[in-house]
Amino acid sequence: MTDIQSNGFVTPLKSSSIRVAPSSPALQGKIRLDGSAMETLEQGRNRLVVAGVLFAFCFFVLAGRLVGLALTDIGDVLDEAVEDTAPKPAPVVNYVRAPIYDRAGNLLAVTLNTVSVFADPRKVMHPEEAARKIVSVLPGLSLEDLGRKFKARRNFVWVERHITPGQQKAINDLGIPGIFFRKEEKRVYPMGSLASHLVGYTDIDNKGIAGAENYFNDQLAGLDGRPAEPLYLSVDLRVQYALRDELSRYMTIFRAIGASGLVMDVQTSEILGMVSLPDFDPNRPNDYPQDNKFNKTTLGVYEMGSTFKTFTTAMALDLKQVSLRDGYDATDPIRFAGFRIRDDHPKKRWLSVPEIYMYSSNIGTAKMAVDVGPKRHKAFLEKLGLLRRPLVELSEVGAPILPPRWNTLETMTISYGHGLSVSPLQLSTAVGSIVNGGIYHNPTILRRSGDEELQGKRVISKKTSDIVRRLMRLVVEQGTGKQAAAEGYLVGGKTGTAEKAVNGRYKRDALVTSFVSAFPMNNPRYVVLAMLDEPKGNASTHGFRSAGWTTAPIVKRLISRIGPILGVQPVDEKSESILKQMHVPLYSREKKLATF
Amino acid sequence: MRWNFTLIIGAMVVGVSYGLYQLSYEVQQLNSDLLQIRKQIKENKQAVQILKAEWAYKNRPENLQALSAKYLPLLLVAPYQVAGLADLPDRELNPDITSIVGVPIPRRKPRIELYEEIPLPPAGLHVATYRASEGLGR
Repeated sequence: MTDIQSNGFVTPLKSSSIRVAPSSPALQGKIRLDGSAMETLEQGRNRLVVAGVLFAFCFFVLAGRLVGLALTDIGDVLDEAVEDTAPKPAPVVNYVRAPIYDRAGNLLAVTLNTVSVFADPRKVMHPEEAARKIVSVLPGLSLEDLGRKFKARRNFVWVERHITPGQQKAINDLGIPGIFFRKEEKRVYPMGSLASHLVGYTDIDNKGIAGAENYFNDQLAGLDGRPAEPLYLSVDLRVQYALRDELSRYMTIFRAIGASGLVMDVQTSEILGMVSLPDFDPNRPNDYPQDNKFNKTTLGVYEMGSTFKTFTTAMALDLKQVSLRDGYDATDPIRFAGFRIRDDHPKKRWLSVPEIYMYSSNIGTAKMAVDVGPKRHKAFLEKLGLLRRPLVELSEVGAPILPPRWNTLETMTISYGHGLSVSPLQLSTAVGSIVNGGIYHNPTILRRSGDEELQGKRVISKKTSDIVRRLMRLVVEQGTGKQAAAEGYLVGGKTGTAEKAVNGRYKRDALVTSFVSAFPMNNPRYVVLAMLDEPKGNASTHGFRSAGWTTAPIVKRLISRIGPILGVQPVDEKSESILKQMHVPLYSREKKLATF
Repeated sequence: MRWNFTLIIGAMVVGVSYGLYQLSYEVQQLNSDLLQIRKQIKENKQAVQILKAEWAYKNRPENLQALSAKYLPLLLVAPYQVAGLADLPDRELNPDITSIVGVPIPRRKPRIELYEEIPLPPAGLHVATYRASEGLGR
């Protein structure tokens, strides 16, 4: 027997423990329980209430928290959670080889998406026909080759890598079964051959195999879990173009077989322009002979000739072995150990140190070097970085070729640039360190930020540097380098003409002419080097092919072009203050005709 | 009474589930929008990359030199053609003129003696700025 209480609970009733209450109006319809049954019921109800209150409390807390969150700002913890789940900017250029820029941010190398065609030969139904159709769209492919590929028992052959969107559409329209496309990336060099040796190039799988592409391959490709980082080179495209333009022009004029040039910042040794001709187009490196890929500026080493007299003179002056007043007798050629050292521009008289440098006297320079001695000579050139492989961020860097012994004879020949082969890069860096006040910096192809502390080491004193600057200016003003005088830019430099050594003998008819210069000489900012390989004289040079005739004009035109670009203020070279700054006494003992 | 209670609960269940489903669909929609936008951004970035490469290609120094040789009568800069700001002579000011606010015009026209008043814009002078959000020419 059961009864339902007014509160909806059903109470099981045991007849034995039930005593029906006396009927009263207030308790009408209710059952009153007594005894143990009632206690049990009470206990159950109490438990229910406790549990209910607990649950109600929990729900109340939750509800309160919800309301609180909805009404107030989201808590700190949630902010982080939102940050975690919020959409991030799409990392699109991930896993794509990073671009290379010049110092102003002009694009030198970039990776673009292209499409490549491949075939599954087992799905190609009519190989011959398919090959014929594809050749009609891609005429560069050979019909037999393609037919053979389509008959091969493989499931993957490349048809052509990196086709244009137009070609892709045309091939798609052919509707050949078994021909598929794959998205790929291709390295593109918008500047073509302009900075080819500096930037380098990549193979078909976008792996750098030359130049900066090779040296910085890991950084550009983002290997080792690093993100791909773009590269900013120190090269200035405008300077690079002017340099290449002038070198190729004069290479044609003098029918030279090669040319190289370098423009370098004197204070930081950043390379602003570096050209080696003939060069190649990095977009299609396979179309060019291997010779064109040879970087004459860093990998090639040459006997530089008279430009080395700069170092000999600077050394002798810095070691106080000679002063500007001293001089040597250059009347007769030197005979030593079966060799004869003579002058190209013989004066046949006593020459002072400035005159020896100005007229580029081999005899005088050799005697000067002998006075210094082979040991100190070698140590000095070592300091200038001429006896070891230079540290620069390129993979194509040549080591200098040193003589097997270094005695008096070697010191004599090396003093005027024979017997020691160095690269044009080494020469420029060394000249830069001579004229910038005497501090040597490692050359670099990377843009340096201005606030970076520069590591350098002193090679000569500031005073010697100042004197050598004046001597270099003297060469352009009155000596062998007159043709390099770019008006207004106070050019100073030194010519260098060397015979090429072929199979251990000097070839009289093959010259390497170079001109190394710096400007403006009252406060040098840039080193400019130009070099021609086997120039031939012509009517405009009266048949001469020495450096003063062939390479000095290059420097003149080049500096006139890049001076305004680099923001060098032209000066009046005839003004008194400039003449005073550049003055160097000649101490000549030349007998002048008396003027009455 | 009991039926009412059940009905209310049922209505709430229907309402809440409708709301939740709606929210879920909305999130799905937003998600697909996001993916699509990301794809578009990727495509656009690639297009920008191509345009940049083309821009660089068209701005090759040799190309610019050929164009300037064709259209501009320019020769090598001679040293006397280069001057700094400090080399410029000071402009002599006419004491009659009290204000030189306005567009730079010739100080004195050769024949007409009358000066024309330049009305200032009512909002005053301001520097023209370009805001990316407003775009150009809108």
